[in-house]
Amino acid sequence: MAKTALVVDDSTTMRQMVSFTLTNAGFTVVEAEHGKDAVSKVAGGAKMDIVVTDLNMPEMDGIALIKELRKMANFKFTPILMLTTESAMEKKQAGKEAGATGWIVKPFNPELLLKTIAKVLPA
Amino acid sequence: MSNDFAQFQDAFFEEAAEHLAVVEEGLLQLEQHPNDWDLLNKIFRSAHSIKGTAGMFGFSAVAQFTHKMETLLDLLRNGQKAGSPAVTDLLLKSTDCLKTLIESAKTGSGIDEETVQRLTADLAGASTSAAQPAAARGLGGSAGAAQPGCEDRTYAITWTPPDWLFQRGLDPLQIMKELNDLGSLAKVTLNTSRLPDLSDLDPERCYLSWEIQLATGKDHKVIESVFEFVREDSVLKIEEGEALSVKREALESGNEIRFTNDERRAESGEPKPLGEILVETGVVSRETVDHALAQQKRVGQILVEQKAVTPEQLEQALQKQRQQETAVQARKSDATSIRVDTDKIDKLINLVGELVITQSMLSDLGSRFEIQQLPVLLERMAQLERNTREIQERVMGIRMLPIGTAFNRFPRLVRDLSAKAGKKIQLVLSGEETELDKTVIESINDPLTHLVRNSADHGLELPEERLDNNKPEVGTIRLNACHEGGSICITVEDDGRGLNREKIIAKAVKQGLIAEHEKLSDDQIWALIFKPGFSTAEKVTDISGRGVGMDVVKRNIESLGGTISIKTATGQGTTFTLKLPLTLAIIEGMTVRVGKETYIVPLLSILESIQPKLGSVKTVAGRGELINVRGSYLPVIRLYEVFALQPEHTEPTKGILLILETEGERVAIMVDEILGQQQVVIKSMEQNFRKVEGIAGATILGNGTVGLILDVRGLLEIAQREEAVAV
Amino acid sequence: MPVSARETSVGECNQPAGLTTDGNQYLTFNLGEEFYGVDILRVREIKGYSTVTKIPHTPPHIKGVLNLRGTIVPIVELRTKFGMPTVEYTAFTVIILVVVRDKVIGLVVDSVSDVLNIDKKDIQPPPQFGSKVNVSFMSGIGKSGEKLVTLLNMEHLLVDGDMAENSVAMGEA
Repeated sequence: MAKTALVVDDSTTMRQMVSFTLTNAGFTVVEAEHGKDAVSKVAGGAKMDIVVTDLNMPEMDGIALIKELRKMANFKFTPILMLTTESAMEKKQAGKEAGATGWIVKPFNPELLLKTIAKVLPA
Repeated sequence: MSNDFAQFQDAFFEEAAEHLAVVEEGLLQLEQHPNDWDLLNKIFRSAHSIKGTAGMFGFSAVAQFTHKMETLLDLLRNGQKAGSPAVTDLLLKSTDCLKTLIESAKTGSGIDEETVQRLTADLAGASTSAAQPAAARGLGGSAGAAQPGCEDRTYAITWTPPDWLFQRGLDPLQIMKELNDLGSLAKVTLNTSRLPDLSDLDPERCYLSWEIQLATGKDHKVIESVFEFVREDSVLKIEEGEALSVKREALESGNEIRFTNDERRAESGEPKPLGEILVETGVVSRETVDHALAQQKRVGQILVEQKAVTPEQLEQALQKQRQQETAVQARKSDATSIRVDTDKIDKLINLVGELVITQSMLSDLGSRFEIQQLPVLLERMAQLERNTREIQERVMGIRMLPIGTAFNRFPRLVRDLSAKAGKKIQLVLSGEETELDKTVIESINDPLTHLVRNSADHGLELPEERLDNNKPEVGTIRLNACHEGGSICITVEDDGRGLNREKIIAKAVKQGLIAEHEKLSDDQIWALIFKPGFSTAEKVTDISGRGVGMDVVKRNIESLGGTISIKTATGQGTTFTLKLPLTLAIIEGMTVRVGKETYIVPLLSILESIQPKLGSVKTVAGRGELINVRGSYLPVIRLYEVFALQPEHTEPTKGILLILETEGERVAIMVDEILGQQQVVIKSMEQNFRKVEGIAGATILGNGTVGLILDVRGLLEIAQREEAVAV
Repeated sequence: MPVSARETSVGECNQPAGLTTDGNQYLTFNLGEEFYGVDILRVREIKGYSTVTKIPHTPPHIKGVLNLRGTIVPIVELRTKFGMPTVEYTAFTVIILVVVRDKVIGLVVDSVSDVLNIDKKDIQPPPQFGSKVNVSFMSGIGKSGEKLVTLLNMEHLLVDGDMAENSVAMGEA
């Protein structure tokens, strides 16, 4: 069965790039524009194999989203990767505390993205 | 850097333009509301987004510059730095600079290096408390890109992960697997000494630790990177032991690279190079292939050697090739795209679904048709026609954008103009939601800019002059857009000095445009300013008055099939009205019925609809009818009276009153019935007929007949005139 | 006032500018017992009568507008225009779509008759009926065999009042 991924980013370009890479790698991708959108899309109990989320977003930011997801039974142990920037490394700490599995520093290329996902994706 | 993301560049440029608009608009608003944190967050997010995405495409100049802006914005939004006009100014200038940087990334256009340097320094200066490292790192994460290890090493690793390991979705098994991929795990010892009694055990916590012996050619950093996500929270020791005598394949690192290449090719369906296959099948050795590859020459080089072409000819051909490449590139960037609400697309998909159903019903009917089924056939045909028309309308609707996207640049422009000219100007925008075709929006940008510049420069007076003339010190420029007839009507209005009849005549005579004592109507005189080369500015400023201008504006508008007209009053101001006929324009309308006629009322003008109580409509001696709606008296217009129709109801309590608003005035219009709400495509009445008072345009209704769209303003005028006659 | 540029754009029937009745082919139609003719080059198409939408504030001979493949076309009832009594529409009632100054206008007539060749020499200038009958919309009286055909000057037929807003009874301030 195809692996599923939840991709959360308010930047359409960014979201498309991540989705594109994951889709090509055989994932079934669900996209969300921000945290609230993401939560609403999985609130029904959908399970995902991986979550890739941006941090700076309107409505509900990445940190809040991670906290929210970790409270949900279907996301308790799901790997969550955050997309962060060099300058926002303090966010990395906040993300970890919220329950993020790992991070990818922008800019990244498709190989790094897939490599990082492979790193945290349960076999 | 191999970059599969390149195909998303266009999307990035489009998104970046939107973010730039958000930043610019936000900064302008910030001047009025310096403590609006939401606003600051929004601006920050947009800048941040540009930075992050620009980096993805290797636009490092954009990323680095935005980073500087972002740093300052971050300080502002965290309250670590207080906002000031100077800071806003700096950020606005930086936004401009960023625009040119992005443009440069897009088209390769030149940039003003000096400005970039200066602003970068200014931004850094303004962010004094920021101790951020500059310079975006290259492709992040690929720490310690595996150096080809010449000797094998063993590492002794002890790892005690944090007990919340699982709660972050981390899996120790994954880490073992990754380590194993680096070389060979010689020995792994699980330490369970921290495991509590079963009764105290929390299954979601990790009490384990490991001792690992790894043999690998990789260096320390690579090992560490395996623990990237847990290193800081773990007790981790990685010690290098003695080199293992096991001889591993010397080509290890090379193998790995080849492997990823293979994967990439497999994904993209790209065939492997010939040499690769030959090596794999054992026909030749890798060294032989590499040697052969090194011998390979480019076609041009070979041809020159064979004296088939001269080096000059080759150079010319190469140049041509480069030109073609550039041309292809340019064509690529010319291709425009449009962002469409998924809502609109969903509706279209639904409609196409309906169309398919209708079509299948029709073919079913056709396969066993009998004449008594004619009514069914006709009904289906009508349905098909409806479907088709609706799809056509929706498809047109995709191209429609609110004119606000064109208006948004003006607050900035006016701000700059007022500063330059020493005038005080406020800009009032209205009707931003008026939708029009994307191409039209793009084409009216320049004419509108010129008109606004014109108003700021020539129209409005200096503050002293305004005060002397008992006018408010601050001049006003109003930009308004609305649908009118089959046209979009855009007005640029100022409350300045108005056009000067004498000056225009004198100038026109001097330029030989008219004879000295020619008798001209006012309109004819105003029209003179649209003549090529005509400019009345007393001094040539750098804002406008360069002689190229109004004639170009007029030409542009006319090339769009539109008209431009002037209304002016000495000392009171000038209004330029642009009318652009737009068969593509679509409005949201309410269909209403009066007698047998159907009319469409623009939804935007409807405030509410009420069924009046008995006696609530009052006749005021000779002043027509009024209705009291929550304390204010509104004139009542009986549509059947104004349009001379046979209505179903003449008693207001039986009909419906629509409360409409136009330009701040409210009016109640009486109709028989409200039929429903729908999007209508505005068709021009003027194309084959003329303007009709009280009618803004026409549309094709679902049954194929023409429906008229009411012109609320016009109705109000009719009502006021009739009132005046009654008095 | 709008400063509009009138482009000499070319309609579908490729109408040479200024051409009135110099051509000699006419589409003839009936209004009651009378024959009328309109320059064939102006005729775009002929269609059966269909429901029109009334337009307020227009003279009675403007029947309304209808949808001609997505464009709005005004419909003029010639009987009313010429002061003739109106009749019930029949299966023969047709709308002749003509092009006048780049605009498409529909004329409701009792029935279409024929396309006739009328030589210039067979065309007489419109007679003077005194002030009783307005002859400005006639370009002449053509003779074809025994038939007398009133040739219409489309430019004049519709210029005097129908197509300009200000001519409407109410008159703007």
